[in-house]
Amino acid sequence: MTLLAHAITGEPPASLDGEGLRGRPLRWSGTGDIGLWSTRWDPADKLDRNDALEHHRLVERICAAQPCLPVRFGTTFATDEDARASLSTQADELHSALDRVAGKSELAVTLLWAKNSGGRGDAPRLADPAIGPGRRFMEERRARYAAREARKARAAELAECLVAELPVERALVWHEICTSDRVAVSLAVLIPSERAAERKAVLERLAGRFNDVVGVVSGPWPPYSFVSIEQSGGSTPRPPTGSAARPPKGSAPWSPS
Amino acid sequence: MKELTPADASLLELVDRLLHKGVVLAGHATISVAGVDLIYLGLNVVLAAVETIESGAQGPGGVASRPGAPPPAPRLS
Repeated sequence: MTLLAHAITGEPPASLDGEGLRGRPLRWSGTGDIGLWSTRWDPADKLDRNDALEHHRLVERICAAQPCLPVRFGTTFATDEDARASLSTQADELHSALDRVAGKSELAVTLLWAKNSGGRGDAPRLADPAIGPGRRFMEERRARYAAREARKARAAELAECLVAELPVERALVWHEICTSDRVAVSLAVLIPSERAAERKAVLERLAGRFNDVVGVVSGPWPPYSFVSIEQSGGSTPRPPTGSAARPPKGSAPWSPS
Repeated sequence: MKELTPADASLLELVDRLLHKGVVLAGHATISVAGVDLIYLGLNVVLAAVETIESGAQGPGGVASRPGAPPPAPRLS
């Protein structure tokens, strides 16, 4: 049996009723004045989509009860002692992170290229039959690159417009551009939880005023994008993969306000 | 290719955070960022079953054959 980690909170743990993943008991592993909520997990059980979403709902429950740091989904510990040891080595950083996100939630803003925006970088095909295949290839490639650069420039402009008008400090905003063919901007904002509805309405208005993209505002969620901690001690952390490995483009790294 | 609807975008943003954000506990933790076998997650691709990705890779125009699409995720162990 292993422990599948959900969230880190301070001591004392909130009294959380209910179950962990797949109806198994939620478990608390405390060390000093910090601890980890987890579910006992058989490594033979494959995690699936429902588990990921249930993990999210669990983290939401925990964050609603007390300040918490969501743990990246799929993190497991062999034993209770391993979990405690991992927390102990980073206790100071975890406490600082808890203080930073206490009482705050995350809203996500996604700007999707509109259907007819031309923002996807599709290069027009050359119609002139007199053009030979070599030149056609080169011309089309050049047009494709130009379209891609134009798309990136427009996405950066959209992100800058949005960030400039957000009613929060830039330090509390994280964004990336052109994360896929469909997505122009992916942005996260850390906001006070009690003002989430109000801020969401503002973001929906801001995100909806561009003609070439469709704005989607999601959340509030636990502060997933704002809980990264500085690693300390002798252990070498495994480098993150996926989008987490990409440095934020054009945005200031998150820092305490 | 499937249009990305606002509902899809919202789900993908959430799942992207579950797998790529959050505290990374180093040292004793086993981090399995992409090892979720039934789903392929991230904003770079449309949410799809791994089976779909694998079958798409066998023919032109499949999800996995798109330029820039990472290979199917390893299974969690």
